[in-house]
Amino acid sequence: MKKYILLLLISFQGLLAQVQFEAKVSRNTLGLNERLRVDFIMNVDGDNFVQPNFEGFRVIAGPSQQISQSWINGRSSFEKVYSYFLLPLQKGNLVIRQAVIEFNGQLYKTAPVRVTVTNPVQQQADPNDPNAPQISADNNIYLVADISKTNPYINEPITVVYKLYFSYNIGITNWRELNKPKYNDFWSQNIDIKQLVAEEGMFKGQRYRFVTLRKTVLYPQKSGKLNIEPLSLDIDVQLPTNRRDMFGRVMVTEGNKRVSAGTKTINVKALPEAGKPEGFTGAVGNFDFKVTPTKTNLKNGESLDLVVSVSGKGNLKLFDLPKPVAPNSLEMYDAVHKENVDTGLSGMMGKISDSYTIVPQYKGKYPIKPMQFSYFDLSSGTYKTISSNEIMINVLDGPTATNAVASNTGGNKNKIEKSEQFKFIKLKTELLPSQKEDFFGSLWYYLVLILPFLMVPIVIVFKKRKEALAGDVTGNRIRMNNRLAKKYLSEAKKQINNKEPFYVALEKAMHNFLKAKLHIETSEMSKDNIQELLLSRNANPEVVTDFIALTENCELARYAPASSTSIQNDFDKAVVIISELEKQI
Amino acid sequence: MKHLVYIFLFITSFVFAQSGFEKGNVLYQKGQYEQAVQAYESVLDNHQQSAELYFNLGNCYYKLNKVAPAIYNYEKALVLHPEDVDIANNLKFAQKLTIDEVKEVPKVGFAKLLRDFTGMCHYNTWAWISVVFGLLFLVFFIGYYFSPTTVSKRIFFFGMFVWILCLLVSVGAAIFEKNHFVNERPAIVFEEAAEVKNEPQKASPATFVVHEGTKVFVEETLGKWKKIQLTDGTEGWIESQAIREVK
Repeated sequence: MKKYILLLLISFQGLLAQVQFEAKVSRNTLGLNERLRVDFIMNVDGDNFVQPNFEGFRVIAGPSQQISQSWINGRSSFEKVYSYFLLPLQKGNLVIRQAVIEFNGQLYKTAPVRVTVTNPVQQQADPNDPNAPQISADNNIYLVADISKTNPYINEPITVVYKLYFSYNIGITNWRELNKPKYNDFWSQNIDIKQLVAEEGMFKGQRYRFVTLRKTVLYPQKSGKLNIEPLSLDIDVQLPTNRRDMFGRVMVTEGNKRVSAGTKTINVKALPEAGKPEGFTGAVGNFDFKVTPTKTNLKNGESLDLVVSVSGKGNLKLFDLPKPVAPNSLEMYDAVHKENVDTGLSGMMGKISDSYTIVPQYKGKYPIKPMQFSYFDLSSGTYKTISSNEIMINVLDGPTATNAVASNTGGNKNKIEKSEQFKFIKLKTELLPSQKEDFFGSLWYYLVLILPFLMVPIVIVFKKRKEALAGDVTGNRIRMNNRLAKKYLSEAKKQINNKEPFYVALEKAMHNFLKAKLHIETSEMSKDNIQELLLSRNANPEVVTDFIALTENCELARYAPASSTSIQNDFDKAVVIISELEKQI
Repeated sequence: MKHLVYIFLFITSFVFAQSGFEKGNVLYQKGQYEQAVQAYESVLDNHQQSAELYFNLGNCYYKLNKVAPAIYNYEKALVLHPEDVDIANNLKFAQKLTIDEVKEVPKVGFAKLLRDFTGMCHYNTWAWISVVFGLLFLVFFIGYYFSPTTVSKRIFFFGMFVWILCLLVSVGAAIFEKNHFVNERPAIVFEEAAEVKNEPQKASPATFVVHEGTKVFVEETLGKWKKIQLTDGTEGWIESQAIREVK
């Protein structure tokens, strides 16, 4: 039973496998310099063949179509093949993707094919093959990268020149770049070569022809070991063979050769840290630094351009120019950067500049600080700094806030406007010692401040004392008598030792007193009159009597002998009487 | 005899100083600003000063385009004569030379009113004013004590208290002014560009940079560092040598 089922299955298999479409490669592993044949085979007459995208390969021949049909023992077989010859472009695992055909309205696809590409393999030349070339291309064609300096400083220009050397007996018909060199961590600039010119030169001790293919200027941007990825070329060469044509000329065979310059390592030195100036922005080379204003004296509303420029040789495109520092009252706009740089084989040369537009706002002088530009000089291996001069911008007349109103009065008169001016020095001064003692806080200040308050009790005490004196009656009387005596009897007192003038003076004094007190004339002075007047003024009659007695006594005593004691008595009496009367009237 | 010699020396030194000022003026007029600076400085060396002297010095430095010394001297002149218009005017000119533009935050409120009032006079002037009020008080007390009529007694009595009040106000103003004078320590940046850091350490990151001629106020001192405040209120630490205090 099992047998039948198996037979059945086998017979069905034949039915199922009616359409076959597959991809076949000549080999699954090949060298980079070897070729690969791919066949897409189908057993039906399919249409609309779509070739796969041969990524990683170059198609050197194909597609070629081949159809075969045969009858063998009454069975027909059909085969249709699309063939390609491929050349791998890179090493590694490559995949040939699916090809598609259409048959009876159905799409059929091949399975993807994996191919491993290894390093180029040495191809054995058959020495007996007359078509084999006399010489191999390997030893006669070289691609060389010439590097001007392998241990430059950062930002020191180096050049890489790719030269293709080839010997006299081979010809080159074409070349293609496979890998463009990559310059990671370099600033690079290609120098265009307009026409390839074959030159002659020595290489490896032999004479070769060479073509300069590519020139590049590099500025390393990083220190350390940097690699330059190689340039690879695919070159079509003509190699002479052993065969001759009918004219005896050597026949050539076309060949194909890949050359690569190999990876180059450049050891980049960092710039020395010692003596690195502040504000060093990475300029390396030999430069001149200039800061030039278009004008320094200007009027209000005008603007000026400040051009900061660096010219010379070096990495001109690779550093920043120093920025000018100006007072904030100057309106400074962003810089316009200009580059005028030629890149030759020796590096960049030319001039770069930043142009700042400055618009002053007010009248006055404005300094623009000196600017420093530092660069690393390769020839001496040291840093150099160039300093610009300070630039003084003089704004001659500024906006005056007051003259906004347009007054049109005549216009002939020279109007003197009040504007802000820088004031002249002062011509007079009063110099004071620098270390002046503060009055506030000094002992003297406190004394003067408290003094009025100390004076208050003193004033009070003073007044109290005065009142006390006014209240003292006897003392007051004595003082009064003394004063009156002094007033009226001073003359008499002087004459106290001479009897006659004393009494004359005393009498006169008495009369003067009466004259002053009663306001009477000497002619009216009679005893009765006096008595009457005094009594009418409420004088004590006793005192009045004493007074009259005393005046009478004066007259008598002038002619009578009198002792000095009686004179003294009369004087005292006069004093007492006068003071009594004074009080009573 | 010795006294006479001293007096003579004093007078001659004074005359010498005065002549230094005048010599400076002549040199300034001739445009020899460097020499004029020397002449004026000689007066300062003699321990003599005046607002005019500082003003003229500031003018010299301005003409020589030395920003920081010019502003420094104008500020010194303003300390002595705060109300002088010419000094303020020329200071404005000198400030145009500076690089930094610091906005002044206007002070408002009661403190500003108080300061405006006390700022009218120097604290020494306030001291003299208070002494005058004291004397007026004494005069009114005497008037009150001795005046015979009640009306005048009342007037004098009332006046007495008015003067006492005035005296207290003026003493208060003097104290306030003196405090303000001591606490406000303006300084001028002398270094072309000085970093202001947020900590008084060299390694500390710089918060901002001040340039020559900028006015700052010193708040604290710690070793070689000074805490400063700008007129717009920003603060930081700066090395002492970068600035010079006006007072």
